Amino acid sequence: MAAAAKKKKVNNKIYIGSRAADVLLWIFFAAVSVIFLYPFLNVLAVSFSSNEMISQGRVTIFPRGFNANGYKLLFREAHIWQAYLNTIIICVGFAAFNLVSTSLLAYVMMIPDFVFRKLFSILLLITMFFSGGTIPTYLWIQKLHLINTWWSLILPGCLSAYNVFVYRAFYQGISMEIREAAKIDGAGEFQILTRIYVPLSKALYATFGLFAIVGMWNSYYEALLYIHDQAKQPIQMILRKIVFTALGSDMTETTQMMQNGKLNRLNLQYACIIATMLPVMVIYPFLQKYFAQGVQLGAVKG
Amino acid sequence: MAKTKSTAAGVPRVPFRVRRHRFAQRLVRQRTLLLMAVFPMALLIIFRYVPIYGILIAFKKYKPSKGVWGSEWLDPFWKNYTKFFKNVNSEYIIWNTVRIGVLTLLFTYPMPILFALLLNELKGNAYKKTVQTISYIPHFISIVVICSMLNSFGSLSGMFNDIRALFGLARVDMNNGDTYFLREYIGSAIWQGIGWGSIIYLSALSNVDTALYDVANLDGANRWQKIRHIAWPAILPTTTVILIMNVGNVMNSDYTKILLMQNDSNRSKLEVIGTFVYHQGIESGQFSYSTAINLFASAISFALVFATNMIVRRISPENSLW
Repeated sequence: MAAAAKKKKVNNKIYIGSRAADVLLWIFFAAVSVIFLYPFLNVLAVSFSSNEMISQGRVTIFPRGFNANGYKLLFREAHIWQAYLNTIIICVGFAAFNLVSTSLLAYVMMIPDFVFRKLFSILLLITMFFSGGTIPTYLWIQKLHLINTWWSLILPGCLSAYNVFVYRAFYQGISMEIREAAKIDGAGEFQILTRIYVPLSKALYATFGLFAIVGMWNSYYEALLYIHDQAKQPIQMILRKIVFTALGSDMTETTQMMQNGKLNRLNLQYACIIATMLPVMVIYPFLQKYFAQGVQLGAVKG
Repeated sequence: MAKTKSTAAGVPRVPFRVRRHRFAQRLVRQRTLLLMAVFPMALLIIFRYVPIYGILIAFKKYKPSKGVWGSEWLDPFWKNYTKFFKNVNSEYIIWNTVRIGVLTLLFTYPMPILFALLLNELKGNAYKKTVQTISYIPHFISIVVICSMLNSFGSLSGMFNDIRALFGLARVDMNNGDTYFLREYIGSAIWQGIGWGSIIYLSALSNVDTALYDVANLDGANRWQKIRHIAWPAILPTTTVILIMNVGNVMNSDYTKILLMQNDSNRSKLEVIGTFVYHQGIESGQFSYSTAINLFASAISFALVFATNMIVRRISPENSLW
């Protein structure tokens, strides 16, 4: 309202030009939103459509000739439940190790007179610029006998220097006097961290916990390198297999249905895409609530 | 404090014995803190530093049974590099990495800036919020999903071809060969990154003092002038920092994505350093050789960040990273 009133004061020519620009912008962003959303809606619609409609290219954003065989086969022959379970364990484990190790180190490095404060800072900073790269890491994981275990996905990436610095900056925002008071009351350092700093940093944990989970959920390269056992694969590897490799001999029903025309290959592929994205989309609203905050937390150090 | 004062005045330093004693006292006093740091620091040493040490195999004849230290040095130790540069493909792979990296940077880097500047001009907070929320969604989609979609959208009956057909163009199999690779690779990177990348600029824009706009309105500034003289200067420092960071990434093309986009018809054309390292190292087991090549790419990246930062420091010192 106030903005509109202010607008009237400005001279008329600018006002009309500006008005036209507003409308154009409005249309432009509507079109952009469609570009962002259309692929998802199309994938969802095709995953539920019949083979005929798909091959005639008549499916846009609504399913045509309803057909859920893609999903049926996904659960029956692609072992998607197993993949879900694996991925959830990996993600939760990763987030837990990530939050615990980062909190411990960030707290220690926040203490102004900590003996190794400088040394640890340097050690952390170096890892921001140098890494071993694919092969040395792979060989080391192999030497540690972590190949084909989920530890190979959880441990190498769970402590990142960037996160430690963000956590530390966040902790530094909490008044030091609380810490001194707790110390006088006889609390140990570990207790101060778990009883005072952790409860006061809920936003931090929500943000970074969700990011850790989503990041791990979406990664495939580490699993490609380290997990060769089919039964231990995370979900992204199942999707990769279904889309990019020929159907294996274990998928007889799928092959048969495709030959009978009851199933389009896209039914299965798109059902798998939806199944892979769904959990992330479900937590997206929660993520959404926190991530603007998260980016700002990051900017503290950035 | 006392220590620095005494050395500055030329007075003899605190004797080593005393310093050692004080240090030991601090260690004892901070034992809980030290104990708390053991687990995270162990992770850091084991999973970050040991692999860095493992880079040594770039100059060694790595034998798994002998380990990194026990393996013999190559003779001469840069042998892997002569081997790489003698390889008929090396020139092409390096050129391809640079070409893909530079083009990606050129097309993806300005997009979030434009997006943020335009979105900032949009009236109506609810609509703006909705557009923003929608624009972030692609960022949370995995690379495997993106490449799966590209794979089927680019097929003969896929969505991209439907669009071509709308404009009266013939249908082509975009998965065949490398003709459409760059368009798909860069296009999808923009689609995924534009909204998310704009957050940092939008937050810089939201920090602009609204009084500046009020004054500009009173002076009769038009929209373009307001963007040029208020919004743009507000995000300039951020654009510089992001540019430096992106330039460092030119050599690290998104090889996990390229790996998924490769198929039998385009594999040799789409090879970049990252995928070459994977193929030579993991698939063919040439560990020393591929480590050497990876090190070469990392060294160039590092030099690039350094060089860009130098240039930025020349032009506008306050915007450089260090």
